[in-house]
Amino acid sequence: MFPGQNSLRIVSKFFALFTLALPLLFTGCAWTGRTSTLDPKGPIAQIQFDLFMITVYVCVFLFVVVGGAFLYVVWKYRERPGQPETPIPQNSHGNPLIEIGLIASSVFMLVIIAVPTVQAIWITHDMPDRPDSHLGAYYGGEFLSPGEEEEVLTIRAEGYQWWWAFEYPQLGLTTGNEFVIPAGKVVRLELRSKDVIHSFWLPKIAGKVDLIPGRNNWMWIQAGNSYNEWLLDQGLPPMQEGHRAEYENYLEAEVYDMYYGQCAEFCGDSHAYMLFRTKVVSPEEFEAWVAEQKQPAPAPDGGGDWGAWFARALGDPSSLAGDPIQEGAYLYHTKGTCIQCHKVEGSPSSNGVLGPDLTKVGSRTSLAAGWMDHMSADGGINAGKQYENLVDWIYASQDIKPGNLMYYGDNALQHIINPEDPDANPLTREEVAKIATWLQTLQ
Amino acid sequence: MSTATTDTLPHSPDHGLVAEKSALGLTRPDHSKSFWVDWLTTVDHKKIGIMYGAAALFFFVVGGIEALIIRAQLAVPENDLISAQLYNQLFTMHGTTMIFLAVMPLSAAFFNYLVPLQIGARDVAFPRLNSFSLWTFMAGAIVLNASWFFQVMQYMGSEAFNLKSGTVTLTDIVPAVGWFGYAPLSSELYSGIGGDFWIISLQILGVASIAASLNFIVTIINMRAPGMKMMRMPVFTWMTLVTAFLIILAFPAITIALAELMFDRNFGTNFFRVSQGGQPILWQHLFWVFGHPEVYILILPAMGIVSEILPTFSRKPLFGYPIVIFSGAVIGFLGFAVWSHHMFTTGLGKIATAAFSLLTMAIAVPTGVKIFNWIGTLWGGRIKLTAPMIFALGFVWMFMMGGFSGIMHSSAPADAQQQDSYFVVAHFHYVLIGGSVLALIGGIYFWLPKVYGKMWTGALSNWVAGTIVVGLNITFFPMHFLGLLGMPRRTHTYLAVNEWGAMNMVCTIGAFILAMGILLFLIDIYLCVTKGKPAGNDPWDGRTLEWAISSPPKHYNFAAVPKIPARDCWFAHKYGSAKQKIGWQKEDHGIHMPSQSWWPLFASCGFLILGIAFPIKHAGVPYMGWLAILGLTILVFGIIMWSLEGPGGYHLHPEEEDGEDSKPAPTGSGAPVSEEVHR
Amino acid sequence: MSDAAALSNSHDDHGHGHGHIDHTATSTGIENKKLIMWLFLASDCMFFGTLISTHLIYRKVYPDGPVDPTVVFNIPLTSFSTFILLMSSFLMALAVSAMHKGELKSFRNNVLGVVFFGIIFLTCQVFEFTEFVYGKHDADGNLVWEGFTLSTGTFGSTFFVLTGTHGTHVAIGVLWLIGLYFYSFTGRMEHDIHGSAMDVEVAGLYWHFVDIVWIVIFTAIYLVEFINFT
Repeated sequence: MFPGQNSLRIVSKFFALFTLALPLLFTGCAWTGRTSTLDPKGPIAQIQFDLFMITVYVCVFLFVVVGGAFLYVVWKYRERPGQPETPIPQNSHGNPLIEIGLIASSVFMLVIIAVPTVQAIWITHDMPDRPDSHLGAYYGGEFLSPGEEEEVLTIRAEGYQWWWAFEYPQLGLTTGNEFVIPAGKVVRLELRSKDVIHSFWLPKIAGKVDLIPGRNNWMWIQAGNSYNEWLLDQGLPPMQEGHRAEYENYLEAEVYDMYYGQCAEFCGDSHAYMLFRTKVVSPEEFEAWVAEQKQPAPAPDGGGDWGAWFARALGDPSSLAGDPIQEGAYLYHTKGTCIQCHKVEGSPSSNGVLGPDLTKVGSRTSLAAGWMDHMSADGGINAGKQYENLVDWIYASQDIKPGNLMYYGDNALQHIINPEDPDANPLTREEVAKIATWLQTLQ
Repeated sequence: MSTATTDTLPHSPDHGLVAEKSALGLTRPDHSKSFWVDWLTTVDHKKIGIMYGAAALFFFVVGGIEALIIRAQLAVPENDLISAQLYNQLFTMHGTTMIFLAVMPLSAAFFNYLVPLQIGARDVAFPRLNSFSLWTFMAGAIVLNASWFFQVMQYMGSEAFNLKSGTVTLTDIVPAVGWFGYAPLSSELYSGIGGDFWIISLQILGVASIAASLNFIVTIINMRAPGMKMMRMPVFTWMTLVTAFLIILAFPAITIALAELMFDRNFGTNFFRVSQGGQPILWQHLFWVFGHPEVYILILPAMGIVSEILPTFSRKPLFGYPIVIFSGAVIGFLGFAVWSHHMFTTGLGKIATAAFSLLTMAIAVPTGVKIFNWIGTLWGGRIKLTAPMIFALGFVWMFMMGGFSGIMHSSAPADAQQQDSYFVVAHFHYVLIGGSVLALIGGIYFWLPKVYGKMWTGALSNWVAGTIVVGLNITFFPMHFLGLLGMPRRTHTYLAVNEWGAMNMVCTIGAFILAMGILLFLIDIYLCVTKGKPAGNDPWDGRTLEWAISSPPKHYNFAAVPKIPARDCWFAHKYGSAKQKIGWQKEDHGIHMPSQSWWPLFASCGFLILGIAFPIKHAGVPYMGWLAILGLTILVFGIIMWSLEGPGGYHLHPEEEDGEDSKPAPTGSGAPVSEEVHR
Repeated sequence: MSDAAALSNSHDDHGHGHGHIDHTATSTGIENKKLIMWLFLASDCMFFGTLISTHLIYRKVYPDGPVDPTVVFNIPLTSFSTFILLMSSFLMALAVSAMHKGELKSFRNNVLGVVFFGIIFLTCQVFEFTEFVYGKHDADGNLVWEGFTLSTGTFGSTFFVLTGTHGTHVAIGVLWLIGLYFYSFTGRMEHDIHGSAMDVEVAGLYWHFVDIVWIVIFTAIYLVEFINFT
């Protein structure tokens, strides 16, 4: 009797328990969860998913064959208790034919993966040139130059510690942490980082590409199939009109949605809080969204004249008393020092570039780079929650997202900050609430 | 065995074991009665190996505790058990500790202890250099973890260790840059003195690794016993050779990268400073040119161990010995050609992406060859499921699973979804825990009876194996799915709406099961050391030369020089024809023993002082620059004294014989194979 | 490998001259010290390879950086120092050969020569660095070209760190040879000519390597700049 005698029994008992427990692990898992790569919603994610499944099939095959041989051998040739002494097993040192055969078959298995891999690398690296994806084909904004009409929609994604700016250079607008793209159209993303390395990952639309400072990376994405791709997918001949309504139904059912992404490269303290959202809409809705985003913010008194409002507010701040919106705007521009980093289009002094553009902050469904959510069930804004989030965030952003640059000290660019400093936030909670009230009106 | 049974050294008439004076006129620390003097100045590869092993197990526990805190934080969504910064520090230290302070030194422990025994050598080629490698490793390990000490002092409000930068108290003393330290996050703009601790400790550890590897290559190439041809060497020794070559060729890349980063942080250079034209992508290339061979540095010794255990307990020679060795070398060689598969998402361009994708797939072939040959070894054998064998079989299975997810990564477009997600975390923990760690623990079960001379007690080892394998699968299998469901790595928390909570809880439970397995393993070692029965010289009916000598081996290893007639020489000696007997050849002038020395330890202390002073200097503490220069001076002075003292040495004339009898010493019921070794 | 000759229970280590030195043959016949130096040099190749490629990559990325190498490089001076270093290798070979024959006096003279040439090389480098940092002035004190430092673009960083690393290697070699020179007066070298010759040969290997690396640097960093690729 030696210590290993009953080991097989104990180990197999463990494995039996483990195998029983495995299915329990995965019941109730959301395979179509909001960042699942197993639920692709665009051609790039689809290619990546299909390729992944090829590797899975090959590996499962190998697993069954090699693992099966392994288990069989261990079972068959195990030493049984009470087995009579046998001569030492025949000592074979190997067999060249077996070796060559196994090497050849493993090379063959790899070729099965290699061919579609190389194809997919080419597809994902080459932006398709489709006329229906040209901006001019679906976007009616009259200010586009003819050259721009021939281009696909370009979005410049800029990564900062720990938030995103999304700039639409052709359309002349900038938004933060949330952006909107039309369904079924190719979009070119230019990826730029302003500090450390980030990575753009929108799992349902596309795998990641890094944002590396000093390097001009790009990728193309597309949410949902284009009309032609959809036709092919349905087994219909391409370029055939007459199925637009069904295509629209497909987009309605499967594509129009909010998509969730996240920075995937470790980028410092609050890396976990660097999320973003992408709303996929119809071209018409996209056009409406652009028109709305291009509107400058109205003056806080509801009028169009910021200069007049400024003159009044600075001349006699007490005149604003009683209107939290105007008081908030005043605090934003003065005591809060928000203008050093943030931009509000329209305001003559709020031209900062270090923080997200706030011109339309009230129209976004989240705050703190997607961490604080206030989207209502129908995809709109839950105003009560939004107010709460704005107050919490402005008042205690260091507690929510440690290390971020938003604080109210003496030197706005000082990197190392002390969250325990009682003077770090000179704004009172009431003042913050007024600023929040004003920001909510920026829609 | 016809051995002298006393534990004392056999006295030789011509020396009488009196410590001599070195060429410097100082008394050498030989034959000291003091335990501390003996171990601190030792040049014995076996003692050095044991110290590497003990340190590695200690840091394995430290890294494990760090991992448990990480898992506790991630157990539930939106958890605030620990801060984001502390989390980042924990995963940085967990990765750095496990790679550089646990798995590499544990492999080094096996290299040190086994290689000279397996090739029939008295010691390594450069015993004092070996001692220097050990203490320099210790210095690097202490420097890295000193950052915890300073940070805890800071938390406790100690005035003496109140590090400040300007007026602001530092909180980032422990590195939080990841084990990969990507610039520019690791530059002085975005990380505190933790970055300096990380840089300097990796530099020191690099010196230790390169010095040790040079030593092992020379030992294996030059110190083999007569007849021990290269193609007769045990596979473990072969894998040590390949690993050592990987280390000396791969570490320079990270040494230079770290030096460039250090210059950026301290001396105003612009290697990675974007505003001045520096390219952070260069860091990634240099890091992974080192980093990918490093992966094989971690796994090849484990493959070597498994290639020793499987034949022993199948009672068959390794199937396809030459091709296993060749594939090991091919893995090592290809390891230098695939680094960019860690960078598929950095925008390499399609040609480079395709090339690295295909090369990465190619590396699966030699790896698969090894697995096929291991199965071939088992085929037709007589498989005895002892504890080492269970671990070795577990290794093959778990490593295979890790290999499959590796194949999935090799397809670059699919990897775009997997990169930096928990899928990758699952992959490399399968190959590192399921691979390296299982094999290394199996190696400890295999060789501890040789090292300590005592056999494991009872069946606890089976519980260890079961708990570790099950714990590891429960921890890491769900992570594949977490990754596919979009959970990125290195995030300290996640939103509840992502529905990752349940699986994370399972992972955390698994991590604690795994930890329990490791705890049981440590208890088993304790029981073996305290209650184990004598193991005998050859408890497993071994195949290689180390089983021919006494357990534990005498400090001179072999009383006579073995003349090796065959591969698997000890097995051939026991069961082969008369021509395959090992010839034992006594040396007329006795066994030349190297003298012990203080200087390697002394020189390494210079590294310790330098390593701690340098980051603290960056925090603005006065006089630290001078302290760093003092450390450098101590290092240089130590090396000069070391080269001037002369190697020394004395001769021993043991009266015993090695391997005279193939029959192991009769042992109690604890010895597992006593009944079967007779033909 | 000559198995019969191999006696593995031999032992070798750094250091010199002790009572009983047995120069037992190794498995390959190459002495341990020589082998470890070759291996170290292989490793060192990777160090320099990394630095040289860093420099060349940045040169390719920024062909028109803040420094124009064709203006600042002083090729006559560098050619002179290259020649000096080559000659020092010649003397080094003579020193090794002298040591093998046990001619201590000749060994000392040649080593002094190597040290002298090494110091000339270092002096040239110091002069070159000084000129690079302070820039060049004409006879009237007007600036001809502006100096550059470690912090001048990527060129300053890669150039100074690469050539500085090489200079450090030369300096270590010079100190090593000075050490051997003085060691030759202790009387221990005569005691073990074979072992000492091995020590000198190992130092020589290092010196030749440093020399060869400089040839590579001189070609790839200095001369290539003057080739007009267009």
